Amino acid sequence: MGKKKKRATEKVWCYYCDREFDDEKILVQHQKAKHFKCHVCHKKLSTASGMVIHVLQVHKENVTKVPNSKEGRDSTDIEIYGMQGIPPDVLAAHYGEEEEESPAKVAKIEIPSVPLGAAVPRPYGMVYQPQQVPGAVPARPIYYPGPPMRPAGPGWPMPPPPRPQQWYPPGSVPPPPHLGYRPPQLFPVHGMGMNMPSSSPAPPGIQPSSPAMPVSQPLFPVVNNTTPSQASPFSAPLPVGGAQQPPNNSFPVGGNNSHSYASGPNTSGPSIGPPPVIANKAPSSQPNEVYLVWDDEAMSMEERRMSLPKYKVHDETSQMNSINEAIDRRISESRLAGRMAF
Amino acid sequence: MVTFGAAANTNPNKSFEVTPSPSDSISSLRFSPRADVLVATSWDNQVRCWEISRSGTSLSSAPKASISHDQPVLCSAWKDDGTTVFSGGCDKQAKMWPLLSGGQPVTVAVHDAPIVDMAWIPGMNLLVTGSWDKTLKYWDTRQQTPVHTQQLPDKCYSLSVKYPLLVVGTADRNLIVFNLQNPQTEFKRIVSPLKYQTRCVAAFPDQQGFLVGSIEGRVGVHHLDGSQQDKNFTFKCHRDGNDIYSVNALNFHPVHGTFATAGSDGAFHFWDKDSKQRLKVMSRCSQPITCSSFNHDGSIYAYASCYDWSKGAENHNPATAKSSIFLHLPEESEVKAKPRVTTSKK
Repeated sequence: MGKKKKRATEKVWCYYCDREFDDEKILVQHQKAKHFKCHVCHKKLSTASGMVIHVLQVHKENVTKVPNSKEGRDSTDIEIYGMQGIPPDVLAAHYGEEEEESPAKVAKIEIPSVPLGAAVPRPYGMVYQPQQVPGAVPARPIYYPGPPMRPAGPGWPMPPPPRPQQWYPPGSVPPPPHLGYRPPQLFPVHGMGMNMPSSSPAPPGIQPSSPAMPVSQPLFPVVNNTTPSQASPFSAPLPVGGAQQPPNNSFPVGGNNSHSYASGPNTSGPSIGPPPVIANKAPSSQPNEVYLVWDDEAMSMEERRMSLPKYKVHDETSQMNSINEAIDRRISESRLAGRMAF
Repeated sequence: MVTFGAAANTNPNKSFEVTPSPSDSISSLRFSPRADVLVATSWDNQVRCWEISRSGTSLSSAPKASISHDQPVLCSAWKDDGTTVFSGGCDKQAKMWPLLSGGQPVTVAVHDAPIVDMAWIPGMNLLVTGSWDKTLKYWDTRQQTPVHTQQLPDKCYSLSVKYPLLVVGTADRNLIVFNLQNPQTEFKRIVSPLKYQTRCVAAFPDQQGFLVGSIEGRVGVHHLDGSQQDKNFTFKCHRDGNDIYSVNALNFHPVHGTFATAGSDGAFHFWDKDSKQRLKVMSRCSQPITCSSFNHDGSIYAYASCYDWSKGAENHNPATAKSSIFLHLPEESEVKAKPRVTTSKK
């Protein structure tokens, strides 16, 4: 057996969509809800093949792909349950991508194709060249190798930018003593610093999921205005759902998840229940009577206030919204004149 | 139209009021990082400072000093050693006031448009200012010119620093994150998870992410690391029936990692983002809360009840408008993180 990969936090993950979970039980529930669920009658099966057979026998339909899965992971032939059944190359690729280990460790993965010690005609003592294991991650520099140069003079230091998507764990960032050059800190992010699979070829600096994603919208448009007790969960204001939430609330309404779940984020509960009233309603067009107290998207409250002659700065840089200014001016003038009852 | 309720509604939480109160709305409140000294900036052009004393559950405030600007002051920041206060505003300048030593203020920063937010960066001994002129500028207070000017995609509306994390919210709903060890490069720029104008941002104390509040009564919790994206969420708050109020301030408790939100509805609440619970609902004041601050150990929460312009000029009557600064003593149950009570699940 090859050396077992030991990581700081051993997270389980879903083969079909690469999402990560804290424990396998939750992973299984996720798979049942997202990948092994019949799209016709919403019955949750225990495996992909079970779901295929059910759909065929009961609804007379052929399912060829696992729902909500990534490209290349949607085969219904592979028998996955939780973390079991994941092909070793995919497994290695996933951990190899996540682990910030040196390339040497990657190369030590056992190569199944060539049996060691077999009667392979090799010169004695020759170092066996490890083939590129299918799926093994080629060595890549995880950390920046260090700044190419130190800026000489005073002024702004310019260490190379940190890798995209990698942030630094708390406490491991000692503040620099003064405005001097600092070598970039190499942060052993808890084994998980890499681009998470959910945002794989992410252009640096831009989160791929956020702009396109219809971000978490309230499932229940009207806020339940009961005065909750002190320890009440966010269930009233949060879009996690109404009061009758299935207890399996381990997943937040990850609005920034790159998956758009068909019927809202919390389908993993035992009660299918009434579907959410509004799944992804655009908030700008509010057909209901809800209204924003401050609804001017073009400027902030302070900017509007600044336009009042009382506060106004008299120069050309503050030529904002003359119309609003005029209105405000008229209002304050008429109030002063006593014409407007307040 | 704002309906002013009975006198009791101006302070329904029976908070201690700091006197004398400013004559116009308060734009920012900041406690010293070292002592219970509170600074408030106001639209009446003044920066005021009080010493707050506490004995048991009773508080008292003593006004100590004040400085003035030529125009409304919009933001303030303390130096980390608690000796100096920075303030900036519509006069497009930022002043440095060594108030502990009784010194006079000097101008240390200049922008092309009003300065709306600022912060002192302890790790670098620099002041960073954000302005409607779409830039961030970093200042070494001994020099006249900024050490660095950073272009922003739009006007700065809010910023928050927890070294090395700096997050800036701009007018176009962009949220720009900087790693202050490399401040010339945007670490990340995302579009706000909230669909409406950004009102305020607050960096997590552990620098792993930030909160963002919008005009639409909603707060977003965002983590920076790619692997923690599934912990992001948003929640609604400061809403009353069909009225949706702006979230004006976000403050983290310095000890417990929980946070407070304050809104145009005149209420402030305490929340725990890790267990996703609201810890405490406070009663609504008759006026919006424009800004708030915890003191250095989280034992005092100051908030300002005054008009924030959320209903425009027509709802502002300078003759009767009152601006108050209140101090609330949070009980432990209100601000201590609470594990979520989960029911058993099959």
